[in-house]
Amino acid sequence: MVVGDVTTAVDVLVLGAGPGGYVAAIRAAQLGRHVTLVDPGPPGGTCLHQGCIPLKALLSATERLQQTRQEELAAMGIHAENVSFDWAKMQAWKQSVVDRLVEGVRRLVAGNRIEYVHGTGWFMNAQEARVEGEHGSHRFKFEHCIIATGAGAAPVPGLSYDGKQVLTPEQALILPELPAALDIAGDDYIALELATLFARVGVKVKLFSPGEHLLDGVDPAALRLLQAGLRKQGVQMTSKAAIESVTGRPLVISGGICPRTSGLHLDAVGVEVSSSGGIVVNAMQQSSVPHIYAVGDCTGGRALAGIAIKQAKVAAEALTGQRVQFAPLVTPLVVHTTPELATVGYTAEEAAHAGYSIVTGRFPLGANGRALTLGADNGAALLVANADDSVLLGATLVGPRAGDLIEQAALAIEMGATLTDLSEILYAHPGLSETLLEGAEDALGKAVHILAKG
Amino acid sequence: MQEFKLPDLGEGMHEAEVVQWLIKPGDTIKLDQTMVKVETDKAIVEIPSPVAGRVAEIRVQDGQVARVGDVLVVFETPANGDGSKPSTSAGAAGVPAAVQASTSSAAPQTTAAKQRVLAAPAVRKLAFELGVDLEQVRPSQPNGRVTIEDVRAYAEQAKVASSQPASPALPAERKETVQPAPQLIAPAAQKPEQPIQDERQPLTGLRKRIAEHMERSWHIIPHATAFDEVDGEALASLREALKPAAEKRGVRLTYIPLLIKLLVPLLKEFPSFNASLDDERREIIFKRSYHIGIATASPEGLLVPVLRNADRLTLLEIASNVERLVEGARKRTLSLPELSGSTFTLNNVGSFGGSSGTPIINHPEVAILAVGRLQDKAVVQQGAVIARPMMPLALSFDHRVIDGAMAGAFLARFKELVENPQQLMLDMV
Repeated sequence: MVVGDVTTAVDVLVLGAGPGGYVAAIRAAQLGRHVTLVDPGPPGGTCLHQGCIPLKALLSATERLQQTRQEELAAMGIHAENVSFDWAKMQAWKQSVVDRLVEGVRRLVAGNRIEYVHGTGWFMNAQEARVEGEHGSHRFKFEHCIIATGAGAAPVPGLSYDGKQVLTPEQALILPELPAALDIAGDDYIALELATLFARVGVKVKLFSPGEHLLDGVDPAALRLLQAGLRKQGVQMTSKAAIESVTGRPLVISGGICPRTSGLHLDAVGVEVSSSGGIVVNAMQQSSVPHIYAVGDCTGGRALAGIAIKQAKVAAEALTGQRVQFAPLVTPLVVHTTPELATVGYTAEEAAHAGYSIVTGRFPLGANGRALTLGADNGAALLVANADDSVLLGATLVGPRAGDLIEQAALAIEMGATLTDLSEILYAHPGLSETLLEGAEDALGKAVHILAKG
Repeated sequence: MQEFKLPDLGEGMHEAEVVQWLIKPGDTIKLDQTMVKVETDKAIVEIPSPVAGRVAEIRVQDGQVARVGDVLVVFETPANGDGSKPSTSAGAAGVPAAVQASTSSAAPQTTAAKQRVLAAPAVRKLAFELGVDLEQVRPSQPNGRVTIEDVRAYAEQAKVASSQPASPALPAERKETVQPAPQLIAPAAQKPEQPIQDERQPLTGLRKRIAEHMERSWHIIPHATAFDEVDGEALASLREALKPAAEKRGVRLTYIPLLIKLLVPLLKEFPSFNASLDDERREIIFKRSYHIGIATASPEGLLVPVLRNADRLTLLEIASNVERLVEGARKRTLSLPELSGSTFTLNNVGSFGGSSGTPIINHPEVAILAVGRLQDKAVVQQGAVIARPMMPLALSFDHRVIDGAMAGAFLARFKELVENPQQLMLDMV
């Protein structure tokens, strides 16, 4: 008997086990579907193994290291002398975090009776896919398929990622040894976080952004705070620098991503793909073939795991007949620099451009008690609201734990909260959340802890 | 993508009901091609396409009500044909999707500051599930917030309005979750006989406008009605005398133009009847123009086309205009200016087949005159009962502005004019 001739019938076949794929598989299983999850590696995908989680682990480790060097410590009466660090051990710790999370996902997958198949899948026709794995080839006949194959680093003409001289962000995170100097090309949050990470461990970092500004769509005042922080850590920044002009090596390029769809034989099934290679989907995550869905980076949208996770739930629910759509009002973005930056919804400029007449509120961290007790006075809360009904439209936070605080603003925007709503509720004092309160009250012209303008 | 929003079609118009789309998604459309019929307060208006391109999406379906500024339809114009990315980018772009959806690609509108529909995520989720367009839901909360209950109520209403689901693009398995049909039949313990179901129809279109208008008028205005009868012989013979001459000039002379011609000097004489009451400022506004509304039956209901500046028109002009207006009202082809702004309304009850009635004032006017059918009646004249062609009159008036004595004087003077129409010659320019 040839293994390849065996056809297994499944309700739902999920290709890719990143945060999009495994969440889709679990949700479909929760809804009573028989699910097979296919991935060449262990569950977790880029996010867990190469991207978000390793990067955040290293960022928080290096943040602690950086804090031991600050003069503020001495002012607090702490003498941390002879602080040293071991990059290899830091890497091992990072890996332990990853391993623990992977194990957690593995248990969830198994606990939901999802069959996990190691291999790479592609479509034979609109009802069947072949999965090539180390144990041979399997044929799956599916009722529904969810494609969650993610994306890889976009190729750069004339350069190839060798992992030594020219690196993807993921390759940079597993450098066995720290280079003395590192050039980074890019202007997105990944480029900024890599610059922060390597600068903290003493690498001489040069950051080259292709355009005039870093982080497109972020409030310029917030951006200035972030750039000042980078400069303070010794990061040299050059704007309007084409990648070809960056000659230093090693070079990390964070220059966008390319959906992993080419090997899926989508043309054989008639699944429509955009010019950039992303699978075209509707708000219910359906591709042009109604029983085939796609979620996350492979759709060519913004590469954020949070988006993939939500889309995964939408796809799994939609294929069981629920009428659901992916339609969040706002997408939070967090940048783990020092100071940390987080933003959600409109900036003042975007809101005005969209036709709102707006009011803005601003509160500096230097006037927040909790920020001072944390020894972090560099930052601000910026709020944008509709002038007419004072409904919150956007928020930008710069400062410690901005990434955790931003969800308060996201919830407020999604709920249609007004500045008055924000100013009426109670805040634990002293707390960083109070910057949102004061920002809202500033927009209302009655912030207590700063003096009124003019 | 280019969006087309419901424009302001005329004075005081805030919303319109989409009567019929003449295009569908995917159609190629030419500039100025008629694309949709909408029904405003009074008129059915045909809206031409502002662009040449392809119809991407129709946002407000047949039978739904759109407010001014609501996006009715989205076009793909040649310039942006390739940009038709599906909605995944909505949230991903980091800006509010609902906000994005109503932002046209052109420069932002400066006329009115934008507002988003305030609805919590759970409400939006339910709305999508039930196929409800949140923009269409009237919020029950004073701050414009749409609640779960509002969405359910709207969906319930829509279900009553049409038994067909209005939500396209359902996944194939939608049928699995379709709820069982509501049980209309009582449990077995009761009689097997099915109760007779009354038919319920939502108030829509013109009927809804009439209902709202009448409700408003009846609610605000303390109505009083004065009745009288007028001898119509002189009027009838005047009409008979003028009719052939008018016909030669292509105009059919009915009683309405004659009555209007007689009414205008009367309104000048009694300015209180050509007035309105500013309810907020508590002021009487005496109108200097004489726009006569003519209550007209159309297949869908009552319409009041307006003969503008009746005081400046000859009898023949009045007649030809009235003919055009009445015909236009029946065909629902009149434009909004032809259906609004009247200062006094004349209701020819006779033309509807009745002999008389108590008319409801066309708010914000203060009086309305109903004229009944000319009929031979027994009248006592100089002690003898004789047959005369009589025409019943009913004058409803706003008792806040007009008193019974004034109404009596108005009717008496009108009678005098109708019975002696040659008096018109005295004031003729």
